[in-house]
Amino acid sequence: MRSTSRRSTGQRSIFRPIVAALVAALFLIPLLWLVVASLRPTGLPIPAQMQWWPDPATFSNYRDIFDDVPMARYALNSVIVVVTVVPLTLLTTSMAGFAMTQLSRRWRDVFVAVLVAALMVPVMSVWLTRFMVYKWLGVLDTLGALIVPGLMGSSPLYVLIMFWAFRRVPQETFEAARIDGAGPFRSWWTIGIPQVRPALLAVTVLSFERHWGNFLDPLLYINDPKWYTLPVALQGLQQLHPSDWPLMMAAAVLVTIPAIVVFILAQRHFLREYDEGNPFR
Amino acid sequence: MLSPVLIGLTLLIIIPALMTVPLAFTNYDALTSPDWVGLGNIREMLSDERFFNGLRASFVYVILAVPLRLLGALTFALLMHRPGRGMTFFRGAVYAPTVVPDIAYVLLWLYIFNPLFGPLNFLLPLFGGGDAAPAGWLLGGTSAQIAIVIALFWTLGEGFVLLMAALQDIPREMMEAAAIDGAGRWQIMTRITLPLLAPMLLLVVFRDTIHSFQANFVATVVLTNGGPYYATSYLPFWIWQNAIDYHRFGYASAMTLVLYLITGIAIALQFAVVRRWKLAYLD
Repeated sequence: MRSTSRRSTGQRSIFRPIVAALVAALFLIPLLWLVVASLRPTGLPIPAQMQWWPDPATFSNYRDIFDDVPMARYALNSVIVVVTVVPLTLLTTSMAGFAMTQLSRRWRDVFVAVLVAALMVPVMSVWLTRFMVYKWLGVLDTLGALIVPGLMGSSPLYVLIMFWAFRRVPQETFEAARIDGAGPFRSWWTIGIPQVRPALLAVTVLSFERHWGNFLDPLLYINDPKWYTLPVALQGLQQLHPSDWPLMMAAAVLVTIPAIVVFILAQRHFLREYDEGNPFR
Repeated sequence: MLSPVLIGLTLLIIIPALMTVPLAFTNYDALTSPDWVGLGNIREMLSDERFFNGLRASFVYVILAVPLRLLGALTFALLMHRPGRGMTFFRGAVYAPTVVPDIAYVLLWLYIFNPLFGPLNFLLPLFGGGDAAPAGWLLGGTSAQIAIVIALFWTLGEGFVLLMAALQDIPREMMEAAAIDGAGRWQIMTRITLPLLAPMLLLVVFRDTIHSFQANFVATVVLTNGGPYYATSYLPFWIWQNAIDYHRFGYASAMTLVLYLITGIAIALQFAVVRRWKLAYLD
C-alpha cells in the first residue's frame, strides 16, 4: 500500500489525516454535547438553535447533584466495588492463566473450550438464575453481589487474555524454576507475573471499565439504596428530575470521567501500532 | 490455582445456565416453590404475539446494526491503522464512546434525540436533512428502532481495535510486492488485505451478532421503555418484563431457551465457516 501511495503522493497524504480527523470529530461530538449540556444554567428558556458552547456557562449543576441524593455515598460504593473486584480479577485470572500453561495439552484444550463456551452464554440468560445463586451465597442486596464475579475473573475473556500472555513466556523458565524446587505459586509470582505486565494492564483497564459502568447487576441484585452504585444513582436522578437536563448531564459527566481517565492513561498500550504488549494481537 | 476461576465459573455461569432449563418447564414467581407445568410455557410462547414481535424486532436490529458497525469498524481501521501525525489521538476518539458507562451513554442519547432541544434535530437541517429528521425520534415505531441503531453505532470500539491490530499484522512486503507487480489499490484490497483479514472479520461479525442480541437492553430501558407500542420490545426486554415486572420466571426461562438456541446456531455456523475457510486456505 505504501508503494501505491508513493505513486500518487501529495493528494493522498493530505487526504488521509483530514478524513481521520473528521471521523474523530464525529465520535467526539456526542461527548462534547454531553459536556456542553452539563454546563448550561438551569431555568433558561430552551435553545432555539444549536449551542456549541453554553452562554453563560456554569459549574453549579455539578454542585447540585449532591443536594438531593447522597451521590458521595454512591460514589464511595462504586469505588469500594472497583478497588476490590479489579485486584481480585487480576489475582484469579493470572493464577488461572498461569495454571493453564502447566496443564497437559489435552486438559488445556478442554479448559479453553469451556472458557470460550462460557464467553458465548448470553449474559441475560443467567440474570434470573444468578439471583438464586446470590441468595444462596448470602450476597444478595450487598456490594458482595457486585464483587463475587471477580472470583471467575469477571469475564472468561480476561482468563483467556492471561492464558495467551503466559503462553508467550518461554516455558523453560518455569521448568528451570521447578527443578530448582520452586512451587507453582512461587513460579507464578516471581517468574510469571513480571513477564505478563501488558496483559495485567489490559485486564485492569477492561475490568475497571466493566465494573465501573455496570448498571444491570446493581439494578437486579441491589434493592437497598444504601448500596447503590453511581450508574444506578444516575438512573435514579433521571427518574427524580426527568426534565432537569443540565443536572442529569452533569451527573453523567461525573460518572464518565473516571472511565475516560483510565482509558486515556492506558490507551497508548492499546492503540499504538506495532506494540508488543497489545493483548489483542 | 485454577480453583477460584473454576468455582466462579461453576457458580456464576454453568449452574445458572443449566438451571434455566428445568425452570422453563415450571411456573415460578420466586415467592412460592416452582410448579411443574410441562410444556405449558412453550405452548404459551408459541401463541404469544409479543414474543414473536420481540424476536422479529431483535432480528431486525441485528440485521441493521451488525453490518453497519462492521463496515464502520473496518473503514475506520483501514483509515487509521498506519502511523501518522495525530493518529493515536484519532484512534482514541473513535474508541472513547465505547468506554462511557452504558447508562450515562444512553442518557446522553436521550438528550440528543430530544425533539425540542436535542442537538441532532438542530444539526440535521444544517446538512439539508431537515425533512429527514422525524419530529420525535423516539415517538414513532420505525424511527425509534432506527434511533437505537444510530445511538449504538458509536460503540464499535472493540471491533475497530481488533481489526486495526489484524491490519497491522499483515506484512507490508506482501502489498509492496503486489504493487510492484502492477496491482492497483483496489486489487490489493480485494486480493490481499481482505482475504488476510477474513478470520478476524469473521470473529468480529460473530461476536457482534451474539453481542447485539443483548446489547440494546439498557438503551431500550432508558430510551423507549420498549415502546412506542412494543416497537422496541426486543427479546431481552420482553424476557426482562416477564421476569421483573410480572414475576413470571418460568416463562422468562422458556424464552431464554430460545436465546440459547439462537446463540447455539450462531456458534455452530461460526465453527462451520471457520473450518470451511481453513480448509480452503490450506488447499
